[in-house]
Amino acid sequence: MCSKIKSKSPFTQLSAWILVVSLACSGCRHHSETPVNHRYAALETDVLLAGWKQTLEDTELSADEKDRLNLHVRAIFAHRCFGCHSTSKHKGALVLDAKSGVFEGGDNGPIIVPGDAGASEIMRRVRLPESHDDVMPPEDGKLTDAEIETLALWINQGATWTDRQLKIFREAPLALAKPPLPDQDDDHPIDQWVSKYFDENDIDWPQLIDDRGFIRRVHLDVVGLLPSDDVVEAFISNRDPNKRTKLIDTLLMDRQNYAVHWMTFWNDLLRNDYSGTGFITNGRKQISGWLFEALTENMPYDAMVSQLLNPTEASEGFIQGIQWRGEVNASQRIELQAAQNISQTLLGLNLKCASCHNSFVNNVTLQQAYDFAQVFADSTLELYRCDKPTGKSAKPSFIFPELGLIEGDSLSDRLASLVDVLVQPDNGRLYRTVVNRYWAKFFGRGLVAPVDEMDNRPWSEALLDWLAADFRENGSDLTLLIRQIVTSKTYQLEPASYPNPLYLKSSQFVFEGPMARKMTAEQFADAVSSICTPMYHSLAFDPHGRDMTAKWIWMRQEEFDRTVLPYPGVRYFRHGFSIPQPAALSAAHILIAVDHEYDLYVNQQQLGSGVDWHEVDRYDVLEVLEKQNIIAIKAVNDGEIPNHAGILFALKLDYTDGRSDTIFSDDSWLVTDSLTSEKWTHYSYDDGDWEDAWKAGNYAKSHWGRLLNFTFDEADNDRLARAGLVKLDPFLKGLGRPSRENVLTQRDDAPTLLQALLLSNDQFFARVIAEGAEEWVSDYGTDRELLIDQLYQTALGRLPTEKEKMQLIDVMSTQPSVEEVSDVIWSVLLLPEFLFI
Amino acid sequence: MQHQLERRNFLKKMQLASLAAMGSTLSFPLLSGCKEKEVIDRKADHVILLWMAGGMCHTETFDPKKYTPFEKGMESKSVISTFPSVSTAIDGINFSEGLEGIGSIMDRGTLLRSYRAADLGHILHTRHQYHWHTCYEPPQSVQVPHIGAWIAKEMGPVNPVMPPFIDIGQRFTVGEGEELKAFHSAGFLGTEYGPFIIPDPRRGLESVRPPHGMTIKRFERRQQLYQELVKNSPMGEHGSDYQQESLVRSMERAYALLKSPDASAFDLNAEPSKSFDRYNTGRFGQGCLLARRLVENGARFVSVTTEYEPFLGWDTHENGHIRLKKMKKEIDAPIHQLIVDLDERGLLDRTIVILASEFSRDMLMEGRPGLTVKDQVTVPDYVEDLKNYGMHRHFTDGCSILMWGGGIRRGHIIGETADERPFSATTEPIYIDQIHQSVYHALGIPEETNYIIEGRPFYTTPDGLGKPLMELFS
Repeated sequence: MCSKIKSKSPFTQLSAWILVVSLACSGCRHHSETPVNHRYAALETDVLLAGWKQTLEDTELSADEKDRLNLHVRAIFAHRCFGCHSTSKHKGALVLDAKSGVFEGGDNGPIIVPGDAGASEIMRRVRLPESHDDVMPPEDGKLTDAEIETLALWINQGATWTDRQLKIFREAPLALAKPPLPDQDDDHPIDQWVSKYFDENDIDWPQLIDDRGFIRRVHLDVVGLLPSDDVVEAFISNRDPNKRTKLIDTLLMDRQNYAVHWMTFWNDLLRNDYSGTGFITNGRKQISGWLFEALTENMPYDAMVSQLLNPTEASEGFIQGIQWRGEVNASQRIELQAAQNISQTLLGLNLKCASCHNSFVNNVTLQQAYDFAQVFADSTLELYRCDKPTGKSAKPSFIFPELGLIEGDSLSDRLASLVDVLVQPDNGRLYRTVVNRYWAKFFGRGLVAPVDEMDNRPWSEALLDWLAADFRENGSDLTLLIRQIVTSKTYQLEPASYPNPLYLKSSQFVFEGPMARKMTAEQFADAVSSICTPMYHSLAFDPHGRDMTAKWIWMRQEEFDRTVLPYPGVRYFRHGFSIPQPAALSAAHILIAVDHEYDLYVNQQQLGSGVDWHEVDRYDVLEVLEKQNIIAIKAVNDGEIPNHAGILFALKLDYTDGRSDTIFSDDSWLVTDSLTSEKWTHYSYDDGDWEDAWKAGNYAKSHWGRLLNFTFDEADNDRLARAGLVKLDPFLKGLGRPSRENVLTQRDDAPTLLQALLLSNDQFFARVIAEGAEEWVSDYGTDRELLIDQLYQTALGRLPTEKEKMQLIDVMSTQPSVEEVSDVIWSVLLLPEFLFI
Repeated sequence: MQHQLERRNFLKKMQLASLAAMGSTLSFPLLSGCKEKEVIDRKADHVILLWMAGGMCHTETFDPKKYTPFEKGMESKSVISTFPSVSTAIDGINFSEGLEGIGSIMDRGTLLRSYRAADLGHILHTRHQYHWHTCYEPPQSVQVPHIGAWIAKEMGPVNPVMPPFIDIGQRFTVGEGEELKAFHSAGFLGTEYGPFIIPDPRRGLESVRPPHGMTIKRFERRQQLYQELVKNSPMGEHGSDYQQESLVRSMERAYALLKSPDASAFDLNAEPSKSFDRYNTGRFGQGCLLARRLVENGARFVSVTTEYEPFLGWDTHENGHIRLKKMKKEIDAPIHQLIVDLDERGLLDRTIVILASEFSRDMLMEGRPGLTVKDQVTVPDYVEDLKNYGMHRHFTDGCSILMWGGGIRRGHIIGETADERPFSATTEPIYIDQIHQSVYHALGIPEETNYIIEGRPFYTTPDGLGKPLMELFS
C-alpha cells in the first residue's frame, strides 16, 4: 500500500469499522455479556483490520482521528465491559465509563500505560487464552482480534480520552435549501438529477415501461386498484402525448379511492387501526375519521403534523399512544411513546434506545429523550436508566434545540409551542422524512434507507433536498408530491433487478431504477375482488359514518352464570307487529342477513332462505302483510363448537302519503331452541315461554362490522368494501398487513410458507375464486379463448402469448366448468407478474 | 467499470454477511471460527406446550394443601383446598383429586412448584400470557416473538413439510381476542415464523389439504398449470429475481405440504377409535392427540391450550370448585395418555412437554403479599353458597409448572410453597426467563441468541440475561 494515502485511507477503514460495530451492539444487554453479533461484526472487520494495522503501526494519527479512535474504544468498553465495570457496578473497583476510572484503574492498579500497549495490564488480560482465570472479559468469549488491536492502537497512540463532545454517528443536516437543478437534458427535475446520477455511476437510462405496464402501476400506486378494461383500452388507443400526465391528474382527483388507498400507508405509519390491543380498556383511540378527512380534503402535510402534535379530539389518538393497564416499563410510558413515535414517524429518528439509556445507534441521550417526552407530561418526569430511577429530572425540550425552545406551563401551550418548533421551514428533516417515505413507496427503496433512519446518507443528497424543498414550496401538498414523482421518467422505468434484500438496505446501494414491489395485502384483496367477486362486505371503519339501527340478535347462551358463545344448533325467532291500515302501504321491503342459515316466514308464508350472511337478502313483502303480522325465522348456528351466530333484520314500510316506518331486529324479539308445535309461524301460536332475544352487542361490531349492503338505498348496493377499511382478518394478516400496536413503516415483504398455504388452500380465498369463476363462466362460458383473453386483460393488463393461450386452452373443456376456470384464475392471480407492481 | 467491480466485491461480502444475518444464529460460530464452546448438547427436538389458560390454581391442582370441605356458612378465610389430595407415582408427592392420571406419570417428569409470575400491576390474563409466551413484559417498542416463533426461527422444521410452529385450540374471535393476537406472533422475526393456527383440532386436516372439494388430481393439475404459466410468462421483466424465486419456492413448499402423506398427521379420523376415545375429553383432549400425531410426524413446536376466554375455563371468578372438577376431567386423561404414548414410542426423550399457566389463583389473596392490586374479585366473608366456594382471585406468588421429556429429570421435584395462606413459594422462586432458557437449552439454542432490531439487540430472553435451570436436567 502506498504510504501517501496512509493518513487518510486507514481512517476510512476505521470509520467503516466503527459503523459496523456500532450497528451490532446497542441495547441494554451491552452492559453484560457478548452479543453474538459481535462475531458477525468481526467477520467484516478482520478483513479491514489486516489492512490498516500494518499501515498504522508507525503513523501518528491526527488529533481528530485520535478523538474518533477514542470514541471507538469507548464503544468497546460500553459493549463489552460495562456489565462489570461501570459506575453502577464496579467489580475490582474498576470503572470504565468515566475518564478518571479508566486511568486510575482498579484494585490491581492502573490498567493503561499510555503509549505502551505492551506494558498495559488491560492488554495482557484481554489477550489471555479464554480458559485462563484472569482473562477479560471472563465469560462469553474474548474480545475479537479487531477489538484487541483497536485497544492496542489506541494505547500506542497515547490513549487519548477526549473531552470534546463528539457525535459518533452521522447526523443529517436540519437546514434545507433547494439546490439549483443540474444542467441536464431532461425536462423533469427528478430526471435531471437522476441523469446526473446515472452519468456519475456509469449507468445507462433503462427502458420506459409500456402503456399497459404504466397504467397498471400508476393505478395501483395512486388509488390502490387495478384499472378496468375499458380504461386500459381507451388509454392505449389515446394518441395524446401527454396522456400519462393527464391520467395521473385524473387519478389524483379520485379522492375517495385515493384516500382509501393511502389510509393503509398512514395507518401503518401512525399505528392507527380499527381494532387491536388496547381498545378493550379504552386505552387507545382511533384517528381514522380525522385521517380519512385529511386525505380526501388533501390537507397540507404541515397542517396534518400540526394537528397530530397539538391535536383536536379527532386526532388525539396519535400522541396518546396505547395506555396499558397495570405497570409498564419506564421507557414505554405514554409520554415516551409519544416522543418515540413522533421522532420515528415524522423525523426518521430512533428514540427507542435513548428512552432507556444514551443511544448507541445515534447521538441522542437519555436526557434528550426524556426532555422531549416532558413536553407531553403533566408532571415532571424522572429519568429512568434501564428502568431504574436516576434522580435526574426532565425539562421540556425538543431533540434539536437549535430549532427553538419549547415554552409554556400548560400542556396545551407546550404542544402549540412544539408545533411552532417542529413545523417550520427550517426543519428540513420533517420534509425530507416524508418525501423519502413517499419515494420508498413508489420505488421500493428510499433515497435514504431504512426510511426510519434519516441520518443515513441518501444515494442522492441533491435529489432528496430538491424534492423536499420543492414539496415545502408547494405548500406541502401530498398529492403534488405524488404527481411530481410519478410524472417523472424515473418512476416510469422498467423495474430494475437488484440482487437481494440486504443490498437494498445497505449504504452501498446504487439506484438503477424502481424495484418491483409486491402488492400489499390490501391491493391484492381489492384486485381479487375486482376480478372475482367482492372479498369483503363489511367495513370496520365506515368513512361515511352511517349508523345501523338494526341489532344483531341471537339466543343467550349461559354456562355457570356466564354468557358464552352460542352453541351450534337451531333457534326460532318471532316478532309480531300490527299495521293499522295495510291498504295505505305503497311498498314493503325486508333486508336480512343471518350467520349462518335461515328460513324466513311472514304470516306463515315461507319467503326464502339463505346461507351466507355477507349476502344481504332482500324481499318484497307488500303482498303478504296484513293488519296483524308475525315474522318468524328459523336460524341455524353451524359448526361443531360454540361460535358467533346472529340475525340482522330490517323491514321498511312505505305509505302512500310519503310516511315510512321501519321494524328492526332487537331484544324485543322472542327466541327459543325448542318448539311445542309445528305452527310456530302462525300468529296464534303461544310464545309465552319464549325468551327475549339476546343482543349480540358485545361482539357484533367487531365481528360482523358495518355490512355495506344492508341498506334500502339501492344506489348504495354492491359497493366494494375495500380491504383498507376492513378489520384485520387472518387473510390480510397472512399477506402482511401488520397489527398496528407499534409503528411499522416497512412491511415484511418476503413471501412465506404460511402465506403460500393461505393462498393455496384457504377456504375463504377459494370460495371467492369459485364465485368469481361462476361469473366468468356465465359471461364467457361458450368461448374459452375469449375468456382467457379477457382474464389476462383484466388481471395483467395484456393479452396472453400464444404459448400461454395454448396451455390454458389445454386445461379447459370446450364448455369450461367452474372448477376449470377457478384453477385458471387461481394460477393467474399467483403469477409473480400479477403480484408484483 | 469501477462501479460494477466494486459492486461485485461488495455482493460477495454481502452474501456472507447475509448468511450470518439471515440464517440461524447457530451459524455465527462457524463463520467467525469460534470454538466448540458455543455448541450445546441438544437434548430435545420437539416441544409441546400444554397451556392452562386463565390462571390454574396450584393449590387445587398440583400443589394441594389441607382439604377444607364445603360447609354452608364457613368462613372464606378458612377455605384452603376444596379437594382432597391423592397420591402420585412419587412417594410423598400428592396432587389434588381428579388428577390421578397425571399423578401416575409424575415418575417420568419434573414438578416445579416455586414458579413466580411477574408483577405487572393489574393482574390481567392476556398481559401475563403475553409475558409468559414472549418473556417480555408488554408493551414493547417493537413486536416481540412468541417462544414458538423463536424456536421456529432458530431450528426450522424437523420435517420440512411441517410448519415449525403450530398452535392448537385458541380462537381469536372470542373476548380479548385482539390481546391474544398480540403475542401469537413472530413479531420482528417475520411472519414466516408465525403460528400455524388450528382453532379446532377436529378440523386440523382442512388446513393442510387441498381446498375443500378439490380432488388430489385436480390439485396436481392446478399446480402443474401454475408452474407452466410461471415458466412461460414474461417473468424476467418483472421483479427482481430473488423476490420471484422466493414466491415460487414458497408456493412449491405449500404444495408439497398439502400433498404430503404427512398431512394425514393432522387428521384425527385416522386415529384408531380406541386411542381417540382415550384422548377425547373435548377440544383440549383432541388437541393433545393432534399434538402427539404432529410430533410423531416431525412438528417442531406445538402449543395446545384449554382456550382462553374471559371468565371461562380456568378463569374462575365464581363456581371455582364446580368448574375445576370439569377442567380436571378435561385435562387429566389426555395429558396422561400423551406422555404415555410419547414414551412408548420412544419420543418422550426427544420431546420436551411443559404444562403451565399465566399465574395461579387463591380464595383471598389477589396478586401477592404486600402488593396492592386493583379490581379484585369480590369474595364474601362467609361462604353461603357453593358458588362462592373456590379460588376466585388471581395469585402470582407461587405457581406449578410440570415438565417431561427432552432431557428433563424423571421423578423429580423442585421448590415448594407455604402450607398456610399466603401459599407463596418458600424456596428460591423460578422466573419466566429461566423457563424459556431451559427450553432453549434442551433444544441447543444458545442463551445469548439475539437479533438487531431497529439498531438494538433483542435476545430470546430480556437483555439475554436468563439462565437455564440446570436442576431440571439429569
